[in-house]
Amino acid sequence: MTFKLDALFNSPDKQYLDASDLSTLSQYVSSIPERMAVYRTLRDQEVAIMQPIADALQQQAGHAEPLVERSVRNGLMVLRYAAMAMLLDDDGFVADRLQGWLPEMVKAYETQVVDQQLFQLLYQQLGKVFSPAQLNLLKPSLEKAQNLMLNTRETVTLAGLL
Amino acid sequence: MVSVADLLVDGRLPGNYFAQDLYVRGSTELGLLENRRGDRLLAIPEPLLQAIYAGLEKETGQASGLVLYNCGRWWGKNFYARFCEELADYYKQPLANLSMAEFLQSLQQCWKTHGWGQIHLDIAYRDRGFLGVEIWHSPFTAAAPQGQKPSGDLERGILEIFFTQLTGRELRCVQTSCTAKGDDCNRFILGLEKRLAPVEGMVANGQAHQAIMQTLMQQG
Repeated sequence: MTFKLDALFNSPDKQYLDASDLSTLSQYVSSIPERMAVYRTLRDQEVAIMQPIADALQQQAGHAEPLVERSVRNGLMVLRYAAMAMLLDDDGFVADRLQGWLPEMVKAYETQVVDQQLFQLLYQQLGKVFSPAQLNLLKPSLEKAQNLMLNTRETVTLAGLL
Repeated sequence: MVSVADLLVDGRLPGNYFAQDLYVRGSTELGLLENRRGDRLLAIPEPLLQAIYAGLEKETGQASGLVLYNCGRWWGKNFYARFCEELADYYKQPLANLSMAEFLQSLQQCWKTHGWGQIHLDIAYRDRGFLGVEIWHSPFTAAAPQGQKPSGDLERGILEIFFTQLTGRELRCVQTSCTAKGDDCNRFILGLEKRLAPVEGMVANGQAHQAIMQTLMQQG
């Protein structure tokens, strides 16, 4: 359930929804076909979108294979959660599921630099696949994930422990 | 070459197994709170925790710390087995194949999602054979009676047995700071018994965590 709509559906014990609540609802409902189209493309083209990015990171940027593998894994994960968040129109979803996980993995495997480049390549790739309007549906959650991953606060690095 | 298709085993991409909104669920009709595998969870009210501390203190006096420590070891032994089983099931591979980063991050998330506070590992003393553990916002020591001695015996027991089983070496655990005596969080040191022996004396003398660690490091 999306965050905005959650608030709407939790309010019947107070009063009927007003015109602006209903317009929020109808905006979301009318955007669903477009959201589903973007979602389907991401689902079906997952490998096709990511493989050129992996190749570029390895061949052009010259990063080591294990590092590229980790980073691509991060990218795939981000894209999957961003796709779901877009479908639900809830960027909070990305933070809820990825916080406390992805940033720690980025730190543990030290993929910050590669991840940064991966995001740039990812935006380019998505620009080829989607229209600007479709891309705008995805952008909020992608940006949220990017911030989460690349502004890691100082905690414990776990790599190589014990 | 990195093949993206090969990275996706069965199309799966395991992530945060213990994410709070996924892990805790329940059937309110049946009055059950469950985890995502359907194992029952139990929520404990704070007054019950306080009552356990008070009851133990009244009935067993000085031994209450020892009782809690042993309960912690019992709990920790089962917790370790269940934790490993859940992770192995989720990752669909033996636990030995899981990277340490994923294993320990899962432990942190697991701890948090169960409401036991935030656990952090401090590996600064790794080369000297010690592992530090910090637990912030512990509900256990928050309910414990205030005093001059650390009172995280339950957690001490859990950690001791957890890391003993994880490393396959008989480790001891000593608590060096505690919220019940006014410190900012609970700190524990894990290591081999003979190397940790002096720490227990220093804790008993009321030395602070930093001072204890300094002495330990100077010993070499």
